[in-house]
Amino acid sequence: MIGYGSPIRGDDAIGPLAAEALAAQPLPPGLTVLARHVLTAELAEDLAAVDRVIFLDAESGATAGTVRVRELQADASRVSTMAHFHDPRELLAWCETLYGRAPRAWLVTAAGASFDYAHCRLSPAADTALAIMLAQVRQLLGEGPAPAARRG
Amino acid sequence: MSRILTIDPVTRIEGHARITLQLGDAGEVTDARFHLTQFRGFEKFCEGRPYREMPALTARTCGICPVSHIVASNKACDDLLSVTVPPTAEKLRRLMNLAQIVQSHALSFFHLSSPDLLLGWDADVGSRNIFGVMRQHPELAKDGIRLRQIGQTIIETLGGKKIHPTWVVPGGVSEPLSAAKRDSILALLPEGLDIAKRSYAFYKTLVPRFTEEATHFGAAPTLFLSLVSPRGHLEHYDGVLRIKDANGRIVEDQVPPGEYTRIVGEAAEDWSYMKFPYYRPMGYPAGAYRVGPLARLNNADACGTPYADVALAEFRMLQEQGPVTSSFHYHYARLVEIIYAIEMMDRLLKEPDILGTRVRARARSNRDEGIGVAEAPRGTLMHHYRIDEDGLITWINLITATGHNNLAMNQSIRQLAQAYVDGNRLQEGMLNRVEAVIRCYDPCLSCASHAFGAMPLLVELRNAGGQVVDRLCRD
Repeated sequence: MIGYGSPIRGDDAIGPLAAEALAAQPLPPGLTVLARHVLTAELAEDLAAVDRVIFLDAESGATAGTVRVRELQADASRVSTMAHFHDPRELLAWCETLYGRAPRAWLVTAAGASFDYAHCRLSPAADTALAIMLAQVRQLLGEGPAPAARRG
Repeated sequence: MSRILTIDPVTRIEGHARITLQLGDAGEVTDARFHLTQFRGFEKFCEGRPYREMPALTARTCGICPVSHIVASNKACDDLLSVTVPPTAEKLRRLMNLAQIVQSHALSFFHLSSPDLLLGWDADVGSRNIFGVMRQHPELAKDGIRLRQIGQTIIETLGGKKIHPTWVVPGGVSEPLSAAKRDSILALLPEGLDIAKRSYAFYKTLVPRFTEEATHFGAAPTLFLSLVSPRGHLEHYDGVLRIKDANGRIVEDQVPPGEYTRIVGEAAEDWSYMKFPYYRPMGYPAGAYRVGPLARLNNADACGTPYADVALAEFRMLQEQGPVTSSFHYHYARLVEIIYAIEMMDRLLKEPDILGTRVRARARSNRDEGIGVAEAPRGTLMHHYRIDEDGLITWINLITATGHNNLAMNQSIRQLAQAYVDGNRLQEGMLNRVEAVIRCYDPCLSCASHAFGAMPLLVELRNAGGQVVDRLCRD
């Protein structure tokens, strides 16, 4: 499980905060939780070695607080123009291209209300969404009814 | 009629930028500019925050080189405390900084620049990317990922996996290195060195193909600025500032980092959010200089580790005499530095006091101004803070590696564009070479976007004929 986002850009921090919250709780055996600023290239080798991955990220543009779960497919057309950040679908494509396999993958997002610089707190909407996000992840982990997945 | 060509966005660099080329009546390039188009304002929003927050806050400037900002920021805080960092803590900080060099240089060489170097500037734009490299050179791509992983694993072993690593702190580091962690890092290094050496050996076979590019990729003369050790050796953590000119003459040496303002001035232009630092005695813009791996290797008398010193000797043979002046050879210099960083980490980890438990000098602030300078992967990084009596930041100045290189990058683009771009017959390969010269510097525009006083901003409205019909200017 990989939560990613900037911790100083308001609601963008929801991914790593969710990861840290999950890491503090009892987890199923074999589950590794990572909190990252951004998704970077070296994660490809780790991902190629696992069965499943759940990405946790913030989303902009949707109604603040909305939590969405999507199943992801590898997509080599998502090639990034810089290496600061990789789209999770691009990382999955790296896995397929280099290592011959990619894990089954989901993206769980929470829509944020504010992404301003130097804001180190979640907005009330994102704060509420964090709990929903964690519940969705628990469902994906098989600890509750599975959410309806949407191919992304 | 003159025309302007725009390359927007510039790809495979860190951040967002635009290049404009001014064409003359005959289609020849008369001028070229590299514009940083994003604004972030770290220097403004850090004001009023406690100085102890600066390492964590400024580390968020960059997702690729946060460790560089953590190191430089904590060095500025050490200066505010007026303490000497315990020797073991200094070595541990050096370790983390070197691991950062490995992972960042690997990213630049294997993932950002290798599509150009391996697939060619004239290759189809649809396949001239990292996936093209993966398909044609999968082992090399895996090596790149593995080197990054090794560097990142060392950073995480030292600093922890949390999103806010707080291992490097003002006065030293927060906890000593355990024997188990030391051994786990040592176990990674032989594989890392093998990858670095074979990548270097492979790249040496490619270099002769690029004689023409090396001639035109930023070969115009500039100064070179970097830290060197007091003995004049390659240095990434501390030491003194040295400036060498294009003929190899040392024009500044043994300059304490705290006196950087004596030799570095800063200018701003209304067409970019990036500052234009220059060598103050020569004035602006004549005092253009370069920083980063090319400058460090040109300035160092030696690396001080076995394989890297052999590679340094070979690096010097790229040019008949004097410093290696072509920015194209930043790629070469990065590979030499990866070898050096791994060798030096091995040496540091085998020092008898590396497991020492005295790793932090504790104090409250004892000065109202602090300066921290370190070598980031892309070059010299300067953090300069002023605080009030309560320890709150009243003023901050950051000069990043990419900022230092700004004048030289603009100069390089102009030189390259004049050699390759014909405005009457545009070809993708020509424009990609213009982008590629920027990639030689591996610019991190996320780091380099800064306020410089009140940032001047000029907005021009042009009609289809190119004439300015309206203008909005904020001084």
